Amino acid sequence: MSFEINGHSFSQQPQTGQCLRTFLRELGHFGVKKGCDAGDCGACTVLLDGEPVHSCIIPAFRADGHAVTTIEGLASEVGIHPMQQAFLDAQGFQCGFCTSGMIVTCASLNQAQRADLGASLKGNLCRCTGYRTIEDALDGKSNVEDAEPGAAFGRSLPAPAGPQVVTGKARYTFDVAMDGLLHIKMLRSPHPHARIISIDSSAARAMPGVHAVLTHADTPTTLFSTARHEIDAMDPEDTRILDDTVRFIGQKVAAVVADSEAIAEEACRRIDVVYDILPAVFDPAAAVASGAPVIHPDKTPGHRVSNAIRNIVAETHGEFGDVAAALASSAVTYEGTFTTQRVQHGHLETHGGIAWLDAGGILNIRSSTQTPFLTRRALAQLYDLPSDKVRVFCERVGGGFGGKQEMFVEDILALAALKTGRPVKWELTREEQFIATSTRHPMRVTVKAGADKHGKLTALQLDVLSNTGAYGNHAGPVLFHACGESLGVYNCANKKVDAVVAYTNTVPAGAFRGYGLPQTLFAVEAAIDDLAKQLGISPYDFRRHNVIKPGDPMLSPAGTHYDDVTIGSYGLDQCLDLVERAMEIETKHDLDDDWLIGDGIALTMIDTVPPQGHIAEVVIAKRDDGGYDLTVGTAEFGNGTATVHRQIAATTLGCSVEQIHLRQSDTRNGGHDTGAYGSAGTFVAGKATHDAAQKLVAAMQADSNARSATGTSGGTPRSVAFNVQGFRVAVNKGTGAIKVLKSVQAADAGAVANPMQLRGQIEGGVAQSLGATLYEEMVIDDRGRVVNPKFRDYHLPSFADLPRTDVYFADTYDAIGPLGAKSMSESPYNPVAAAMGNALFDATGIRFTQVPFKPDRIFPELQKKFGKA
Amino acid sequence: MKARAFNYVKASTVVEALKAFEDAQDDASYIAGGQSLVPTLALRLQAPQLLIDIAHIPVLRGVDLQGDWLRIGALTRHHEVLTDPLIRQHAPLYSEAAPHVAHPAIRNKGTLGGSISHADPASEFPAMTLALGAELEIASRDGVRRVPADDFFLDLFQTAIEPGELLVAIHVPVVRPGHRWAFHELARRRGDFALVGCGILAEFVDDVVKQVRIAFFSVGSTPLRARQAEEALIGKKLDQAVIAAAQAVVGDDLDPPEDEHTPPAMKRHLARVLLGRLLGEIARQGA
Ligand SMILES: Cc1cc2nc3c(=O)[nH]c(=O)nc-3n(C[C@H](O)[C@H](O)[C@H](O)COP(=O)(O)OP(=O)(O)OC[C@H]3O[C@@H](n4cnc5c(N)ncnc54)[C@H](O)[C@@H]3O)c2cc1C
Ligand code: FES
Ligand code: FES
Repeated sequence: MSFEINGHSFSQQPQTGQCLRTFLRELGHFGVKKGCDAGDCGACTVLLDGEPVHSCIIPAFRADGHAVTTIEGLASEVGIHPMQQAFLDAQGFQCGFCTSGMIVTCASLNQAQRADLGASLKGNLCRCTGYRTIEDALDGKSNVEDAEPGAAFGRSLPAPAGPQVVTGKARYTFDVAMDGLLHIKMLRSPHPHARIISIDSSAARAMPGVHAVLTHADTPTTLFSTARHEIDAMDPEDTRILDDTVRFIGQKVAAVVADSEAIAEEACRRIDVVYDILPAVFDPAAAVASGAPVIHPDKTPGHRVSNAIRNIVAETHGEFGDVAAALASSAVTYEGTFTTQRVQHGHLETHGGIAWLDAGGILNIRSSTQTPFLTRRALAQLYDLPSDKVRVFCERVGGGFGGKQEMFVEDILALAALKTGRPVKWELTREEQFIATSTRHPMRVTVKAGADKHGKLTALQLDVLSNTGAYGNHAGPVLFHACGESLGVYNCANKKVDAVVAYTNTVPAGAFRGYGLPQTLFAVEAAIDDLAKQLGISPYDFRRHNVIKPGDPMLSPAGTHYDDVTIGSYGLDQCLDLVERAMEIETKHDLDDDWLIGDGIALTMIDTVPPQGHIAEVVIAKRDDGGYDLTVGTAEFGNGTATVHRQIAATTLGCSVEQIHLRQSDTRNGGHDTGAYGSAGTFVAGKATHDAAQKLVAAMQADSNARSATGTSGGTPRSVAFNVQGFRVAVNKGTGAIKVLKSVQAADAGAVANPMQLRGQIEGGVAQSLGATLYEEMVIDDRGRVVNPKFRDYHLPSFADLPRTDVYFADTYDAIGPLGAKSMSESPYNPVAAAMGNALFDATGIRFTQVPFKPDRIFPELQKKFGKA
Repeated sequence: MKARAFNYVKASTVVEALKAFEDAQDDASYIAGGQSLVPTLALRLQAPQLLIDIAHIPVLRGVDLQGDWLRIGALTRHHEVLTDPLIRQHAPLYSEAAPHVAHPAIRNKGTLGGSISHADPASEFPAMTLALGAELEIASRDGVRRVPADDFFLDLFQTAIEPGELLVAIHVPVVRPGHRWAFHELARRRGDFALVGCGILAEFVDDVVKQVRIAFFSVGSTPLRARQAEEALIGKKLDQAVIAAAQAVVGDDLDPPEDEHTPPAMKRHLARVLLGRLLGEIARQGA
């Protein structure tokens, strides 16, 4: 067959069954990305005879005799395509994984299609940006500034990888060709709870092209947690690499390593597993009730499982003051129970990696991870290797959102490379991503609150039941965090928490942007709102009256107590003012009286670093060309730290960002970084960069021959950051449809290192959270199976689904953070569902207590109240 | 997942395609646009040994007016349905539904014949086929037959097309003066498969409904005609009371399956809301 790809003709026979995307990638066109297998995400968009198509659902042979243009072919000899330049000027990307497909689609739009971007971009999903900067690119806007030497901090400088991202040249985890590469496919459990009696893999092993079949018999029996934390003691030891008991549908059973994915997959089908099926439990309330099937019967508090027999992995109970008495004597009280659903991160690059042994006997793992250093540590421990014999690194990571603060694949990759001595690759499918990685913890939260007649909070109580699924990765820390800052932000003499996290036979929950706070805030901020309404006080004033101020202790009866959090800067008052002012502006609309309109707000506080240590070590070394090499451990997955680190270093060293050469996220380069999580990329790692730069300046002043300096940061003391979200919504009485008329968020991130990027983080956080608030839900049936493990059925928001969010910054300077900056990548997510719930209440008088607020979900109550449409 | 390593042949005539299917002893699939088929292959919901490419068969192409009928070749792509002036003029419900079908990249490949053969009960085009009262031209080794839309959609993903048969063309009786039509769908979000959707084609004489076809989708295992609602309209002027009467009975016309997200009662309610809107629109077209 003959193909013309990016202007070059050649003959080649695609493999049977191959899609055009795989064919193009095998030919080295790595700009063509894989985000799914069903035509749903658009990351693989190419032009076929000038028309955009999704190459993953075009059989390769279909391109025979046709012209294919990929992102790499858009640019001409004279320069990059105008649409690529437009994306660069507008910085219309964060992780950039969607960008190739997005640009190819945008470049093909005619005038009419450009006028209706909601429809035209329906097939291209972006999980990071919230689409505003993509629209800016199409409108020809520029969002970037430049900076004189020494003045980079505080300017909207572009991401250093931008030119590679827009041309499809940026290399992500799987964008590499390797000789002799083998492929892994995983046989997964079809049962929610079963003991494996036997695994017969002889037929699989006998297949030509199969190099190894790995089962629990081949792996160490060491118990660990997939969660990655600086201190292992934060998570239970309840997981084995491959276990002889399976506890959810989708759990790993046997890995096949073969010449191709197709052979590996076929071999998986030929493995015969005999299971002894055990009773299973899917509902967390049922799981903690007596008589429920026990999911980890052999675990003890020694494994950091609180009460294995009751399926309780972690719990926290505490009270100060006397909540019951306070409630009894309060002028107004509120009680409500709120439930949040299971949502998935939906980063477009799935989990996976490539592992190989090099000539020096070092096990190299190129992985899509937020925590290369902690993953290396875990691998060294599991396989009993010296840590200098293991190298974990990442190339550009296509989104993480907390989902990659886990070790889901590297353990298997390592074993496969060690067993076969060959390079091996494992790339999860979108379906595996849904059924077998991690999700947000679904929670049921009962809140009780009271206030006196002057509007002073008298009591706050939370009763939380969290569902961690089959394993306890992040279960405890998420629970403690959920009950921490949500209560700590309010001054109140009587507070109580009873919180429990249960095992169930479902896909595990893990870390996800916001780390538990979005779930509890949904309840707490509703209670606050309701008390204000009952008292006839504005929701702004009620909050102003009750939130902590500088000097106040931030108290919660939950979890363990750490006394290293202080208010390094305080901008919550400004955030409330900014949102109040923005919400005063009326919104024009032409909606008829089927639509009810209301406003709602919610606030959030977040500690700028997770507790118990977050460590970063950074080295800056002078280069011969007058520039500097900056070596940092933290990873870039769209959060923007690559830009900010250079800005901090350049500002401190008095040079331009172009003179700072960043080497990132590779254990081989030395230093240590706990990881790109807990919003620590700027606050912790950035502080280490600042420290290193300051030391180098001092050293060079003392001795002109000084060449390098090392900076560190221990992630303590910590500060707090704040956000306030406001929504104006319209709800249709007849259909339950919701329109967002206005979305406003004010953030106190301290001194703003890069206004453009910070705005992007906030817009992206609101966008992702709106997905969870309005549309997204992983549905699990009564047999424990995820029924919608596809983007098509899961509903990631597309361009047309999201309002634009107006972003405001408080003007503060943090006493602890680097150059006055604080962290801000998780908390924009946190107040969204709560503010939306409050706006719906304002509009309808109905308190909706379950997210997502799908039309069909909220409709019955509307119908009850407002009758027939 | 990876698709099974299938063989592939390009057919250049209907007979060649039919024969290839027969030779493969039914372990084959026709591929038109591939936009529904390829995802099912990749997810291994189907694993035929042979793919027969029908995209190069000339008689499956083209849109032309044949007397009172518009013949639309099965291979007409969604994008062409959206933009073709003959379809817009003579079979306008297809044009109105087209922007709601998937998105541009999919519409550049997906075909009308593929959508109708696939017969997803949540799809727009099968229901519009029913509303338009089209006839489906099907070729088999025994020759060609025409099946009215009312007899075509049998069950979930099942049509009158027998294994090995080919849908050649869709024949639509052209709309005439006195015809009015309307299309709309309610989706959770734009671009999702609809919660409920509906297309109506009505013929009026002196403002009185003479004939009407109301076709719903996403409310049962096939696209469905709302016969009782239709009856409530025939011989009547479309005023508030008549519309309300049709709305009152439409719930009984539908057969929404139990579904995790949208309970049948909700679907019936939404269908009533939708029917009210569409009939109101049709009434206003006469003003
Ligand atoms: C991301 C995405 C979103 C989508 N959204 C929508 C949507 O909103 N609404 C909607 O209606 N559809 C939607 N679709 C489906 C799309 O419209 C398909 O293109 C269409 O349903 C099938 O057309 P096709 O030509 O691609 O058929 P194919 O995929 O080639 O074939 C589908 C089936 O029909 C058979 N077949 C095809 N042509 C013939 C023929 N002439 N004779 C006999 N059998 C035939 C094939 O053997 C196969 O079994 C979506 C698809 C994708 C990938
Ligand atoms: S990879 Fe092709 S649409 Fe997702
Ligand atoms: S930038 Fe769009 S998915 Fe990350």
